[in-house]
Amino acid sequence: MTQEAQDAVGDYKYGFHDPEAATIRFDKGLSEQVVRDISELKGEPAWMTDIRIKAYHHFMEREMPTWGNCDSLAGIDFDNVTYFLRSSDKTEKDWNDVPDDIKRTFDRLGIPEAEQKWLGGVTAQYESEAVYHSIREDLEEQGVLFLDMDSGLKEHPEIVKKYFGTVVPHTDNKFSALNTAVWSGGSFIYVPKGVHVEMPVQAYFRINAKNMGQFERTLIIADEGSSIHYVEGCTAPTYSTDSLHSAVVELIAMEGAKIRYSTVQNWSANVYNLVTKRGVAYKNATVEWVDGNIGSKLTMKYPAVLLKGEGAHAEVISVAYAGEGQHQDAGAKVHHLAPNTTSNILSKSISKNGGRSSYRGMLQVTPKASGCRSKVVCDALMLDEDSRSDTYPTMEIGNSTADLEHEASVSKVSGDQLFYLMSRGHSEEEAMGLIVNGFFEPFTRELPMEYAVELNRLLELEMEGSIG
Amino acid sequence: MTSYLDATVPNRSEHLWRYTPWSRVHPGRVDSVPDVDSAVIKSEDFELTNKTFEPLATTDIARIFLNEILHTTTVVACENNNGHIHIHAGGHSVAAHLHIACNSASNIVIHLHGEADWFGLALTGDIHPNAQLSVGIINELSTDSVMVRVDDWSLHRDARFELATLSMGGHRNKSDIRSTLKGSNASLKQFIAVHGHGTRHDDHHIEIHHQQPHTNSHLLLNAACDDRSHSIGTGALTIDDVAQHTDAGQVFRNLLLSPSSRAEAIPELEVLANEVAAAHGAASAPINKEQLHYLMSRGLSKGEATSMIVEGFLVDSFTGLDSDLVREAMQTRLTVHLECQLIG
Repeated sequence: MTQEAQDAVGDYKYGFHDPEAATIRFDKGLSEQVVRDISELKGEPAWMTDIRIKAYHHFMEREMPTWGNCDSLAGIDFDNVTYFLRSSDKTEKDWNDVPDDIKRTFDRLGIPEAEQKWLGGVTAQYESEAVYHSIREDLEEQGVLFLDMDSGLKEHPEIVKKYFGTVVPHTDNKFSALNTAVWSGGSFIYVPKGVHVEMPVQAYFRINAKNMGQFERTLIIADEGSSIHYVEGCTAPTYSTDSLHSAVVELIAMEGAKIRYSTVQNWSANVYNLVTKRGVAYKNATVEWVDGNIGSKLTMKYPAVLLKGEGAHAEVISVAYAGEGQHQDAGAKVHHLAPNTTSNILSKSISKNGGRSSYRGMLQVTPKASGCRSKVVCDALMLDEDSRSDTYPTMEIGNSTADLEHEASVSKVSGDQLFYLMSRGHSEEEAMGLIVNGFFEPFTRELPMEYAVELNRLLELEMEGSIG
Repeated sequence: MTSYLDATVPNRSEHLWRYTPWSRVHPGRVDSVPDVDSAVIKSEDFELTNKTFEPLATTDIARIFLNEILHTTTVVACENNNGHIHIHAGGHSVAAHLHIACNSASNIVIHLHGEADWFGLALTGDIHPNAQLSVGIINELSTDSVMVRVDDWSLHRDARFELATLSMGGHRNKSDIRSTLKGSNASLKQFIAVHGHGTRHDDHHIEIHHQQPHTNSHLLLNAACDDRSHSIGTGALTIDDVAQHTDAGQVFRNLLLSPSSRAEAIPELEVLANEVAAAHGAASAPINKEQLHYLMSRGLSKGEATSMIVEGFLVDSFTGLDSDLVREAMQTRLTVHLECQLIG
């Protein structure tokens, strides 16, 4: 990276970009024709094209949200976004076959190395589509389907048609409509009955081009008694103009199944990250969201779980770091729709250098959901006087047997803790870094070790210069 | 001043009107301003004077509506007085505006009663520097009444203010209680107890705004919901960037007593200063079975044991009041009400 580029990128270590080498790039702007062209280019069945067109019209008619950071949302110029960019003609199964410049990017992000060491499968998405995809043979032999979403639709249209849009319909919100209209890439996973995928599978999403829109669509179905851990990471170059990331993730955990979905979102500070993530848990199933938001300009993301079967469980652990110019509007939603369902939500946020972090949550217990239990804990740390922290929780209780608790606190770093660490030889900056790492520890301990180490390093980088 | 007929009726996407739409608490058709009489305000303990009503500064629909129908303000002079004020809401639709200006240390219990179909109440107050005011409001309106209550309290430097509400009357109540801590070292304690019975719908929206440093606020809302009642508590706590060294806490607790009762809690927090302690908590649960078992093992019937637990839960709402007069008045009235309601 040149010195000039280094200066532009600053502390954000993934801010580099490669020359754009698009094989197909659509003109900026969105129209019905763009939607039809994306569908035609991918050779999709007519039913998918129809869904896309319906979603496009819904997107055009739907108003922008009137809550959240309306000022920042108003800054999105939908006409200045590239809605489809193909960087490689096909999805490779061998890293050696991936175009050199793209491979170089993922090498720098450490993806091939991680795959060899500790992953059960990898999808690497560059711009609109996956450029690399692999799955361990033993998982394939057990019948596990792990494909990029485009291949999933081609090879297993019956499964995709059955589940696509059932958890997050295109009418859910403006950005789910946008995603449904122009989705491209993402992961498709089906885990057969009773199969436990022991090693996590990973997807890595990279935006490289300027003013790019990335709209991946992920669908994970864990059949009865199965389990899977899916990890996603995301980065983008630092540009002076904005990019848009608007994904939809649908999880379906059948009876007794368990899905854990971990995210370390580290988009550069020019990316709008407006994501709809929702899972359904049937009888005795578990859906877990482990969600870290470090980057982006504005994140609005509230991983949700619909507890539809008796004894189902939801777990959401969410952390957010809001630095200069960032607004992390994150949270969690859990809907208890069946008896004896349980949930835990833990949200932690740090605001620094004028950053704003918001927790926005919903906990609902419907009249039929007797014997439910839930606990929500939100902790916020404010590191300076220019920052801001908000909490917007909602509890709707329609059943008298529900046992729910919510607690939230906002505070600064304790002077006692700082003093203790400094009296043991740490500088103030190191002490602050240790306290912040400790504050996020309930999140990092749930991540695979490599991710946890990386996250701690990222936080240390973010904390540099935070004192004095 | 915005005319009511020119104002936009808020929809349910607005936090304030999410669970109780304005159309459900308006006295008639939502696009009309019906004739409204004045409620009768009496007190043997305070000097009350009437003056021409000055509109409330607002963009909120309930205040805009009250601006249209109110003509008189009753001013309560507080000069180290303690005692009771009675507001009788009789007739079809009535309204009242009570303004309390406190320069000293005073304790007031306000009783709301009557069988009006609709009652609009505006309460405003200035707690001046170094003044101490404790206000208790007991809602014992008829079981068919609809009430819209809006409060605007200003707390100045070193002011101490306690505001307690006992809500057990009326069929549908919407209370929007706003307090602004405008002076440094001002302190606010707010306590609300709600007893939901029958089909009562009781919506409390509490806004507390810390505008100056070294200010404190504490809010406790306890709601016990029986039968098909519905309690809503929404809080909006804002701490401005200059309000360093603020200490603020909100607790919302719901006790659900029957399968058809419902409760909502939305304690929101917006913090723009870093040297603060701000916290909120919300909890909702049925009656603790261990407590029930303990009481029944000592010879109480299930109904008596339940009543005792509910009474303890609600009476506890007011134990933090410093004013003996207000605390005793609230707790005594609550105990009598619960004995009538729960034990018969």
